[in-house]
Amino acid sequence: MDRRTLLKSGVAVGGLATFAVGYADTGRKVVDGVVDSLAPKAAAANIHGASLLPEYTVDPATGALAPNAGQQVSYTMCMGCTTYCGVRVRVDKASGRVVRVAGNPFHPLSTDPALPPETSIRDSFVALSRQGEQGLRDRSTACGRGAAMLAQMESPFRITTPLKRVGPRGGAKWQPIPFEQLLAEVIEGGNLFGEGHVDGLRAIHSTAPIDPARPDLGPKQNQLAFLSSTNEGRENFAKRFVQQAFGSINFVGHGAYCGGSYRSGSGAVFGDVKQMPHAKPDFANAEFVIFCGTAPANAGNPFKRQGWQLARGRTDGKLDYVVVDPVLGHSDSMAARHRGRWIPIRPSTDGAFAMAMIRWIIENRRYDEKFLAQPNAKAATAAGEPSWSNATHLVIAESNHPREGFFLRASDLGLPIEGDKYTDKDAFVVVEPGSGALVAHDGPVGPATLLVDASFAVGDKTLRLRSSFDLLRESADRHTIADYAAECGIPAEVIEGLAREFSSHGKKAAVNSHGGTMAGNGFYNAFALVTLNTLIGNLNAKGGTMASGGAFPAEGPGPRYNLASFDGAVTPKGTPLSRNVPYERSGEFKIKKDAGKPYPAAQPWYPAAPQLGTEWFSAALSGYPYALKALILWNTNPIYGIPGLRAQVDAPLKDPKRLPLIIAIDPFINETVAYADYIVPDSLLYESWGFASPWHGVPTRVSTARWPVVEPPLAKTKDGEQVGLESFFIACAKALGLPGFGANAMKDAAGTPLALDRGTDWYLRAAANVAFAGQKPVADASDDDMALTGVDRLVPLLQATLKDEEWRKAAHVFTRGGRYQPVNQAYQGDQMAQKFPRALQVYNEQVGTARSAVTGQRFVGVPQWTAPAFSDGSAMRQHFSTAEWPMLLCSQKSVLLNSYSIGLDRLRGIHVDNPVALHVDDAAVLGIRNGDHVRISTPGGSVVGTALVRHGVMKGVIAIEHGYGHKELGARPHTIGATTQPVKPALAAGICLNDLGLGDPTRKEPAVWLDPVVGTAVRQGLPARIARA
Amino acid sequence: MLDTRRDFLRAIGVVTVGAASAAPASAAPAAGAPSPAAASPAAAGDKHRFAMVVDVGKCIGCQACTVSCIYENAVPEDSFRTIVSTYEVEEAGRAAMVMLPRLCNHCTDAPCIPVCPVGATFQRADGIVVVDADKCVGCAYCVQACPYDARFINHVTRKADKCTLCAHRVEAGLLPACVESCVGGARIFGDLEDPKSAVSKLVARGDAKVLKPELGTRPHVFYLGLDERLTGKVEGEPTLWRPSTTEQHT
Repeated sequence: MDRRTLLKSGVAVGGLATFAVGYADTGRKVVDGVVDSLAPKAAAANIHGASLLPEYTVDPATGALAPNAGQQVSYTMCMGCTTYCGVRVRVDKASGRVVRVAGNPFHPLSTDPALPPETSIRDSFVALSRQGEQGLRDRSTACGRGAAMLAQMESPFRITTPLKRVGPRGGAKWQPIPFEQLLAEVIEGGNLFGEGHVDGLRAIHSTAPIDPARPDLGPKQNQLAFLSSTNEGRENFAKRFVQQAFGSINFVGHGAYCGGSYRSGSGAVFGDVKQMPHAKPDFANAEFVIFCGTAPANAGNPFKRQGWQLARGRTDGKLDYVVVDPVLGHSDSMAARHRGRWIPIRPSTDGAFAMAMIRWIIENRRYDEKFLAQPNAKAATAAGEPSWSNATHLVIAESNHPREGFFLRASDLGLPIEGDKYTDKDAFVVVEPGSGALVAHDGPVGPATLLVDASFAVGDKTLRLRSSFDLLRESADRHTIADYAAECGIPAEVIEGLAREFSSHGKKAAVNSHGGTMAGNGFYNAFALVTLNTLIGNLNAKGGTMASGGAFPAEGPGPRYNLASFDGAVTPKGTPLSRNVPYERSGEFKIKKDAGKPYPAAQPWYPAAPQLGTEWFSAALSGYPYALKALILWNTNPIYGIPGLRAQVDAPLKDPKRLPLIIAIDPFINETVAYADYIVPDSLLYESWGFASPWHGVPTRVSTARWPVVEPPLAKTKDGEQVGLESFFIACAKALGLPGFGANAMKDAAGTPLALDRGTDWYLRAAANVAFAGQKPVADASDDDMALTGVDRLVPLLQATLKDEEWRKAAHVFTRGGRYQPVNQAYQGDQMAQKFPRALQVYNEQVGTARSAVTGQRFVGVPQWTAPAFSDGSAMRQHFSTAEWPMLLCSQKSVLLNSYSIGLDRLRGIHVDNPVALHVDDAAVLGIRNGDHVRISTPGGSVVGTALVRHGVMKGVIAIEHGYGHKELGARPHTIGATTQPVKPALAAGICLNDLGLGDPTRKEPAVWLDPVVGTAVRQGLPARIARA
Repeated sequence: MLDTRRDFLRAIGVVTVGAASAAPASAAPAAGAPSPAAASPAAAGDKHRFAMVVDVGKCIGCQACTVSCIYENAVPEDSFRTIVSTYEVEEAGRAAMVMLPRLCNHCTDAPCIPVCPVGATFQRADGIVVVDADKCVGCAYCVQACPYDARFINHVTRKADKCTLCAHRVEAGLLPACVESCVGGARIFGDLEDPKSAVSKLVARGDAKVLKPELGTRPHVFYLGLDERLTGKVEGEPTLWRPSTTEQHT
């Protein structure tokens, strides 16, 4: 019995017993050893065990590279999270297995500074070596999860063949079927499960209205919906089928249950609530950053890049920072205690903290007046400002005026305008300093009056007009700093100290946030946090906040192939499933208004939001605004990811009459795929094609290329194509006769028609677009580049698909794992080279003039502190009192796991479980000790976890790390044909906060608690209680 | 109380700094961190003395090193050649995180070497302490003797196993797996015989610490920015990352 066996047996052993057992065992082994050691031995000591053979050898003196012929080193893309880093993948050629993963030194998400793009592959390998200690300087990394992801490809839970459910939905029984059978059944429909007729895609694909009485809902083809996750490089291919070919308006990703509240709050500031632009701190040059609702180096996107930027900034650099968070995480380091500090905050109160800072900064005139006073881009440039805002623009504040809440426009003053009244060309209005006159905002090349609250003659009327900045000031002044401090739990003197520090670095300071704002007031909390950046005018400034560097477009209209559109492409019409359009334009509003009572709508609408996956299940299952007939899930898991959803929709989702057809395209059976009727297997990370770009955080242009460095073990169609997303949609489109796929589906730059018969027809042409984007194409890949990276395997395909002048340039993109703007082009003087050009919104007119469809009340157009609330605006605590639910739950990002990594044994081996954190003082009162089983209950559910008593958590808070508490992905074995998956209870370890999410008690239909303005999921600040189990 | 090294390696302890059973901080850094010249009296040339410097303030606890090592070196489940121990500490009302990358210290006076009954464990001329698996009988004396819990019996090979500083990669002119994939840039590897190397320069600064300097093992893994009270064994509650004692590995 060795040491490990003792451990495995779970016996608690004392010192003496261990020694005795160990001694007896050892005695025998020593004897064996003596005998054994008499045997003849090889000359060299056997010290390397089963370590991998090096992928190549580099002479430390000369730098000469000698490749290992048995291995291939390929630069491609990681899919271990939504950062999509460039990685280098080592493949054992004999077995075709990926053996190890590290970083791609060309890629700014893995290396800093990245290698110049023109570097040869050979030199890039040498750059990673010990030669001249290059490898320390050019170190290129994969994170812990990235290094472990390769195990997914050989998971015993992987699906490799098309499946059809057997028995009831969710019953974990499946039958493998040929691809052609799957295709025929989902296209033609029929009595597919012996449960009655199911419409197939052919029946759903109709331009006839869903409801002739409600043309605003759009055509029947909207009743096919597609749930994606993120653009991992293939989303535009899926959009081509769903939106442009099939014509459905319903295509959505996971944003509404990721960091949607932050994006919406940022979108309000950046003036685009649909695309929701956002900025990141320029870590490399910032002097002081407040992280609130995000924790770099603990998690976040880009994870590694922010991680090393924080690590360098607080050691060798000049970065001081605070992390305002309910939980102490890996952003903090005792070794850098003088540079970074954790400040605990109560969940869902970020807005109180931010509004207190805003109030202090305005009261003490610590804002950047020179920046805020510039009324237009010209004036800002003349003043040397890198960005501008609408702080001086005037809002109609006359009560009951028909345009109350709208900006005053030039046309209101009778000034001549181009185009129609109240459109983009109709200028805003500002007060000219000195004269006090009202003038069009785009006239002055100098400042306008910043604080305005006065009555003005406008035409023949007198109107109260207020500047955006005055509205912000008033909103901040609504509560005292002491009141804000009491709400958020941060002492007033700390808030004031942070406000002073934040406003002491010119533009070299920043506030950054993200998913920590996913609360019942998340939109306004985020709006307030992002507005702090506006107050110091740091956007586009070196050391301030920056726009993303963008990409070399792969799927645009060119330059080599038009992948953006095609003859016969459809522009989807109608009402999106999540009702993210003004209720006032709906047929329902008209009917109710005619009946004299336009409000409330039957359910909430979200006019200032993008499509919301959070509302889709409620909408589809309650038939509002209309029912779905088919749902396609692609590598997505809303049942696991949306707080409270499972409890709300489990029963109706299992009823095929409510949602008749669910098709999942996924390599695994996750908690949502478990409800599917059919599963189309899909490729995994190192087996697939795709083009992604950094989500943010890189100031230069990057396109990341993913290509199959190994072959997927997937079933084939009868035509010999791998089954997966691409072959499924191509086959569906051909069966339905849809344009955009098959013969004559796309065109090159000369207009020559080309076929789209297989995925590579799309991705290789996308590569050509990337290679030729911009002023100058990339160089040709050399034979050596291709041989070293394994891209030589693709050459016949490249030559067959692309033109002579294209294929080596496309190969250049694949050999480098993408295309990169040189990293030394990030700045222009003290400004970022790539700038966000439009006005920052201190007052957002679109938000400020939108109404809640439930209450009919206008939303507030400036940041404000407002308590977490349900859809009818009633505060959460009106429904769930502190007496009954004294604690608040918050979700904590895992350092290692994500929502789909529980099956990675080597990651879980480091971190097997997710005990729930609570503060020592709370634990003492409740009699909870470290390691106790504890029951956590909310109005939405109850689970038993293990307690971890910490100092590093806010008092009154229970923190649950995300990524555990799975019910699928291996936690429950499924039966596929005659085979049952392995039983592996370790994959069910821990608990999931989303099993504790709340339903909205103010709604009648099954619906989860969402932010009442922008419909994003609520996982921070759930009312809860905890007790020993 | 932690029973085993395996628990310790994986534990995030919740400890109070003052209550940690810290090693006496008596050793001046120089005692454990000799100057390159003192460590390696021989002149440069073909001679090497490999070492690692860990800049603790740059470690973000992402475990990229841990997983990279596992895959590079076929480390079996439930064992680690390196890992980042992660603690929450609390002092004067302020909580903070400690990330402590740990591996074999490749000590000049390695306690694991003399206890080996068959001479399987030895130190190479370049300072790397290794195990000759052909000689090792798996008696685990070395595992018990290592004051840093850096060794284990590999349950696949049934031999003593440990960090080799990826000697197979170093010989190929490459970096150890944990170094080449260190996201924060905390792990710095090099040759103390080369005065121009990054490790030589960092060690020469004189403020590097080693773990358990009072034992006189003369480790060659040096830590920058490490609180002296954490150079000894930190006794923590093994609650956050607890071992998977019941899991079946198939």
